[in-house]
Amino acid sequence: MPAAFSGKRPGLRLLLLLCLSLSGGSPADPTVTTQDASHSQANSLTKMQTGLNVSSPEPMTTTRTVNRQTQGSPSDHLTFGHNVSVPGPDLTTQEFKQETKEHVSNATFVEYEILLPGVSGTSTEKNITLDRATRIELSCRLDNKYSHLKSLQVTWKWGNETLRHINKTENSWGIQLRIWDNSQLGSYSCTLKGEEEMHAVFHLQVPKIEGKEKPIVSYEGDTAVMICKSYGYTPTAWTWYMTNGSEQVAINDSLLADKYVINRVSANVTHLKILKLTKEDDGIYWCEAGFELGKSKGKLKLKVLSLMVPLKPFLAIVAEVIVLVTVVFLYEIYSKKKEKCAADEKEFDQIEQLKSEESNGLENSSTRHRKI
Amino acid sequence: MPPLANAGQAPGPPDGGWGWAVVCGAFVSIGFAYAFPKGLAIFFKEIQDFFGTSYSEVAWVSSIMLATTYGADGKKRNQDLSIRDQARCRHPSLKVLSAAPQLPGPISSILVNRYGSRPVVIFGGLLCGIGMVSAAFCTSILQLYICVGFITGFGLALNLQPSVIIIGKYFLKRRPIANGLAMAGSPVMLCTLAPLNQFLFDNFGWRGSFLILGAILLHCCVAGALFRPIGAPTPPVKPQVTGKGKDALKEEVTEDAMEMGSPTKVPMEDKVEEEGGKACCEKINQYLDFSLFKHRGFLIYLIGNVLMFLGFFAPIVFLAPYAKHIGIDEYSAAFLLSILAIVDMIARPTTGIIANSKWVRPQIQYFFSFSIAFNGTCHLLCPLASGYTGLVIYAIFFGLAFGMVCAMLFETLMDLVGAARFTSAVGLVTIAECCTILLGPPIGGTLIDTFGDYKYMFIKCGAVMVLAGTFLFIMNYYNYRMLAKEEKERKAKEENPKPVRTENEGRNSWNKETTRDGPELEPLSKEQEGLKEEVNGINEV
Repeated sequence: MPAAFSGKRPGLRLLLLLCLSLSGGSPADPTVTTQDASHSQANSLTKMQTGLNVSSPEPMTTTRTVNRQTQGSPSDHLTFGHNVSVPGPDLTTQEFKQETKEHVSNATFVEYEILLPGVSGTSTEKNITLDRATRIELSCRLDNKYSHLKSLQVTWKWGNETLRHINKTENSWGIQLRIWDNSQLGSYSCTLKGEEEMHAVFHLQVPKIEGKEKPIVSYEGDTAVMICKSYGYTPTAWTWYMTNGSEQVAINDSLLADKYVINRVSANVTHLKILKLTKEDDGIYWCEAGFELGKSKGKLKLKVLSLMVPLKPFLAIVAEVIVLVTVVFLYEIYSKKKEKCAADEKEFDQIEQLKSEESNGLENSSTRHRKI
Repeated sequence: MPPLANAGQAPGPPDGGWGWAVVCGAFVSIGFAYAFPKGLAIFFKEIQDFFGTSYSEVAWVSSIMLATTYGADGKKRNQDLSIRDQARCRHPSLKVLSAAPQLPGPISSILVNRYGSRPVVIFGGLLCGIGMVSAAFCTSILQLYICVGFITGFGLALNLQPSVIIIGKYFLKRRPIANGLAMAGSPVMLCTLAPLNQFLFDNFGWRGSFLILGAILLHCCVAGALFRPIGAPTPPVKPQVTGKGKDALKEEVTEDAMEMGSPTKVPMEDKVEEEGGKACCEKINQYLDFSLFKHRGFLIYLIGNVLMFLGFFAPIVFLAPYAKHIGIDEYSAAFLLSILAIVDMIARPTTGIIANSKWVRPQIQYFFSFSIAFNGTCHLLCPLASGYTGLVIYAIFFGLAFGMVCAMLFETLMDLVGAARFTSAVGLVTIAECCTILLGPPIGGTLIDTFGDYKYMFIKCGAVMVLAGTFLFIMNYYNYRMLAKEEKERKAKEENPKPVRTENEGRNSWNKETTRDGPELEPLSKEQEGLKEEVNGINEV
């Protein structure tokens, strides 16, 4: 993931490329220039990486993306007709000639680097998300403190095929790739063999789409809205699929306009609205985002319940409430009756007492009144 | 069981017996009233997606509900509004909408004065249930506003005040404990409702959940059923009745009923109805006792609380955003609020017990001021908290302080005005407080936006609360001294009754005075404790 933009020499590179594309200049130059630029950038990389924690892969990797977009139309990208059998397309002179001739180069350029820990037997991985044709440089770097290690052999592999054309600098070994097709994605690994053996893998993949782990619960006759989002990358197209048995059937909303409504709310968000739900609509749905470099799917689950389902707990609770209220009121009536009986008894006693007090004199009653 | 059977002996508030059942009911009732609006936040994302509205429109449901419910009481008005809601609170139309339903406050008071607590709470519970059940069948966001926002909000409002009022009727000696226990319902319900709502939502979707929540809210009716009307709301009535004759019952009157030539036998159970009947004949002044504004203690309480609420809720609202701001992840930030709720849960009954002890009870107003100032100090020290551990410590102390203040919020008002006028007092207090409650979090939000730093908001809240605490402390000191002076004068008068008056009339005028000011005003100092017990009829002579 392009993390940090150094922006140190984008202007310069842009200028260079512009000159090149306009002049159709010597193919060697851009290579060299690129190389120089990448070297110098590698140096600046080194500077940036001082003081980074060696143990975790994240901070060890610094990436810079330089966006170079010329006036080619967006759909144009590098079409080399390059022979795929040679793995890891590298920047040969001929290719670049073709490129400049077509003057389409709106590919982004990214660099990724893994700083290898000096410990033997380790394997570091990095996931790189690409959504469009990219020129990418991957490099494995060994920290300066390990430069004492001698006789280091570095191999770059794509799957099982070994790649050549490794750009070696003082402490880093890199390859440059041009990715324009889904078939070129995969895992690129560099292995450092010598006294110690270290391994680093770059996983190039299309952006992932997240569905929802929890099912969306809805009711018969109601509407359900399912949402898929793409984070950070804009897909070229969205498609929805429903699972029919074991098949995935694309949903055609123009055909069944009163049942399905697909709405692309924004560039990165798509809504599928299913109207008039029935039990058959229950199941798994897939939202597929199409990118330049491939497709990615997200899974969503829909559960359709009948109204009886929540009604049962509802009625149970209401019944419980009624029972409780009745119990409380009955208890109150009962205790009042008890009190009344006791009160009547006490009244009787008190009346007797009054009578005896009265017989003792008026004084007592007046005292009582006074106290009030 | 309250000794209602002692005919002629008007008992003081039972301070036990059925009172504890009432506390349970109040626990449930208050818990729902405070915790329910917060618990609904779980559903908002789904509702927003379903209706295709923006987040702000969905948050209005919560805002309306909070405004309607707490407008009744005004307390904890914006307690759980997220920061986005706070931004929306600055939206003029929402402010109008929020300010409008402040009516529930006095309406609750009027209804309770007229009908007593029980019918109001039962009606409130039914209203809540109906609101939520109809919300389950809503087809537009506007209908949700009405069903969830207004109807359920109003129902919850009708739950809140009567619960607090009836505690005052059932307890005197143990009232702080009862208040503390009842107010503990809020954090307990919150901790229960949050996972429950999540469970319901996962299994039944939002519509099914609303349906079931409607049924759950009906438990407020059960709570209401427990609120057995008690016929001894005003302590001054009882002390005079030391005789045992049924005739004595005739003179058991409140200030209202004094002129009433009512039937001799006034069973306790019918007392409320009779008073209600009396109030019906009286003017609005009997519904809402505006003469409270001349009451010194009430005014002190009002001013102090109005000040306090400016800084009371903002820290809670902004605690999680602040945590995220300094780099803490979402779950840990949410956990901070859970810590707060748990400490709050424990703090409230504990405060109740402390406030009830014989050392604190007479000076409960000081304890209240102290807890407000303590709360303010916590906020002032918060910016010093660095990292997660610091915030956890802050959350613990904040929870403690928050619980202390909440537990005593109503207790101190009752202590000042007495149970008789508490109904009207609480209604009036809420109208007056609603402005600052509305203003508090938005001012905090503005401070945060202006300075880009949360510490100014904390400093502002802390400063305001320390100021409020100090103000209350000083003014209550003055108040206590004035009360002591008045008490001395009264005693002097009592010992030297004017010769023209009969002893009876002398007692009556003395009675009237005590009725007006409420016996709670007299601090329970040792020498006056005996007098107070007499006044409150605790002594059974």
